Amino acid sequence: MCKECGCSAQSSNTKIQFFVKGYKEDTVDEVERTLLGLPGVYHVHIHAHDGETTIDYNPAKTRLSEITAIFSEHGLDAVI
Amino acid sequence: MEIQVMEDILGKNDQIAMENQVLFKKEGIFVLNLLGSPGSGKTSLLEKTMAALKDEIHMAVIEGDLFTSKDADRIAQYGVPVIQINTSGGCHLDALMVQKVLQKLDLVNLDLLIIENVGNLVCPAEFNIGEDSKAVVLSITEGDDKPLKYPLIFKESAIVVLNKVDLLPYTNFDMAAAQNDITSIHPQINVLEVSCQKETGLLAWYDWLRSKTAAKKALCTEGET
Repeated sequence: MCKECGCSAQSSNTKIQFFVKGYKEDTVDEVERTLLGLPGVYHVHIHAHDGETTIDYNPAKTRLSEITAIFSEHGLDAVI
Repeated sequence: MEIQVMEDILGKNDQIAMENQVLFKKEGIFVLNLLGSPGSGKTSLLEKTMAALKDEIHMAVIEGDLFTSKDADRIAQYGVPVIQINTSGGCHLDALMVQKVLQKLDLVNLDLLIIENVGNLVCPAEFNIGEDSKAVVLSITEGDDKPLKYPLIFKESAIVVLNKVDLLPYTNFDMAAAQNDITSIHPQINVLEVSCQKETGLLAWYDWLRSKTAAKKALCTEGET
């Protein structure tokens, strides 16, 4: 996280972008909140109009499959 | 061709943090890493804690600051053992800094060690120093947008103390939004609303410390039998 001061320059976070089909107005907030609640997820940004979903996360703490499972649970179709 | 040698800073730190943790476990000491911005009220919270619990729990404090011993001087007035670490510009405490000063404490007769980290919402959250839990103090005057801007510290902390709630009427801090953001980032986190100045909401904080300290002691006693 802290790259400015160099004290942890080897950040293990990664950014991943999905294109998600099926967002509805009332599910966006819930999906965002659920994803953010996963242990290694630090930031979630969803563009509901085109489905672009960007997630900052630490793969050592949360597996990709745990993220995609959230989409599936909400009936969403996500591709990277 | 130039070969860049990179050192795994966090890996080395984690190794020393684990050594600290083994020592704390052996002595049954609950160790809290207290985090937050400069001016959020970390030392004020500690002062109230010392005054309330020093006759009940054997405590010590390690103070982390870039320079000066101002915070340690404040804590020393309560008659609690306190050690100041000056990082000389470093933005966080690391496990080695803590390990080096532990020999100055009477660990055998200690139940609770609170380590007040350098005031900073970013770097201290990344470095494990051997603590059992992290706690973050966020003051109302910092703004309700901070949890989403600095998610790691809230993700890593077991408890957040929202301090200076007596100033709520004079700010545009949205308590509901802040609480919603904090629990979104970390659904299991404890959230307390306190005012160190007006001495409100502190009982829940003391109870949390009591229960964690007792649990650690019990865990270590079980291990001995």
